Amino acid sequence: MKTKLIFLSLALMLITGLVSAQSLYRTSVGELSFFSETPVLDIEAVNQKTGAILNVGTKELAIQAKITDFQFPNKLMQEHFNENYMESERFPTAKFAGKIKEQVDLTKAGTYSVTAEGNLTIHGVTKPVQVKGTIVATATALQVNFSFQVRTADYQIEVPTLVFDKIAETITVSGKLNLVKQ
Amino acid sequence: MIWPNCLNKGAFGLFCCILILFGSSTWNVMLAQDDLLSMLDEEQSKDPVYTMATFKASRLINGQTIETISKNHLNFWISHRFGAVNSGFIANFFGLDEAKIRLGLEYGFTDRWLVGAGRSSLEKTYDLYTKYKVLRQSNKIPITVTALAGWGINTMPSGYVMESGSTMKFNNNIERYSYWSQLLIARKFTEKLSLQVMPTFIHVNKVEDPSIPNQLYALGGGGRYKLSQRFTLSAEYYHTFRELEDDEDDDDGGGNAAFPYPYRDAVSFGVDIETGGHVFQFHLTNARGMVEKQFIGQNVGSWGKGDVFYGFNIARTFSLDKSARNTHK
Repeated sequence: MKTKLIFLSLALMLITGLVSAQSLYRTSVGELSFFSETPVLDIEAVNQKTGAILNVGTKELAIQAKITDFQFPNKLMQEHFNENYMESERFPTAKFAGKIKEQVDLTKAGTYSVTAEGNLTIHGVTKPVQVKGTIVATATALQVNFSFQVRTADYQIEVPTLVFDKIAETITVSGKLNLVKQ
Repeated sequence: MIWPNCLNKGAFGLFCCILILFGSSTWNVMLAQDDLLSMLDEEQSKDPVYTMATFKASRLINGQTIETISKNHLNFWISHRFGAVNSGFIANFFGLDEAKIRLGLEYGFTDRWLVGAGRSSLEKTYDLYTKYKVLRQSNKIPITVTALAGWGINTMPSGYVMESGSTMKFNNNIERYSYWSQLLIARKFTEKLSLQVMPTFIHVNKVEDPSIPNQLYALGGGGRYKLSQRFTLSAEYYHTFRELEDDEDDDDGGGNAAFPYPYRDAVSFGVDIETGGHVFQFHLTNARGMVEKQFIGQNVGSWGKGDVFYGFNIARTFSLDKSARNTHK
């Protein structure tokens, strides 16, 4: 009896697993950028290798970007970003794992305003966040756009005073993810 | 046939069933979030992760490091070596009254290949060199290897007196040339510690005395230790292997009583301070030259006698990469 119960639950889990696997939308070339604006200097960097997966069944969303993939116009700045601020050898990725709060059916074509709620990990520090964005759904793809603010101090990113790369205390992070149905 | 069996056991069985189903589904949700991330992680961890910033700059102290500069970036180097610390307070303000200067430019044609040129006031020497990063340290390769080749021309008037005290006469321009090549091999062991070895070969077309070889083999060793994100200690040493020439008077390794070998190995210690687009390198060294031929092969200073020179290098990097600037506009 007990073994049957276990089998039953395992089978159900497997089925739900299969169902969710069928409703995955995914990209490995998503675009994630950030912008720091100060009177002295504007700094912008783009990561065009951001990975993201959205499960339209459970509305779970995961995004991961490698810190070393952020491209700066000035490569010395890029090196400082990795070596001094983000410490990318110790903390190689920034990631988000969460869920879309609204009750929306993303399998139907349309434009949806959504809020993703979950944990954002940057520089080894994990914080709960809410990010607003839009999703444009078509039959085979989801175009996810979002933008939010990150305070460097919240993620223990030290910005010293003795530098010429002036960095804003609050940085705007935005993303364009074109998720394709698997 | 499983399902009716389960129901037949009555209320307790049903309760168990619901409990397990409920439990498994919440567990499934949690698993799924981690699953999605691990799927992404699996995909992204396939790319090699290259080690960056083994050294702060393309120069360690006097010599070069494995670092090249990025594509379409320009480095401007200003280097000074003041007079000897032991040259007196009144006479020379401990060496600060005079300085040898080298101005240099380096340009990155690709992320791994640069070409540089410079002009030193010591022996009015122009130098040209190129560096190529052959191997890059990553999570798969343990070391970075950079090859360097350089050429220099001494533009002093013929018959000038060298630092070693000898008079140098040039009969033609070819005699003014010197060449050097290096293999720079480094590993970033930890975030703080990087070490480098530099097998070196130097050829000088004309030397001042027959007892001094035209060819010189040297092995350099150096490294850096980061004290903080912006302060780094560095050290550099070049050991020279003088060829034992089979000249009749050459029984003591390259020198003789009338003309003792005048050159010594260069030992240098420094501090790097990084401030955004600049790197400042302050150092104490017994070498006054800033060109390989001079600081490896023709260095007259001796730490033992107090011939120690203060010096600094300042590097400023400019990005000339307009295309990268416009990608996101």
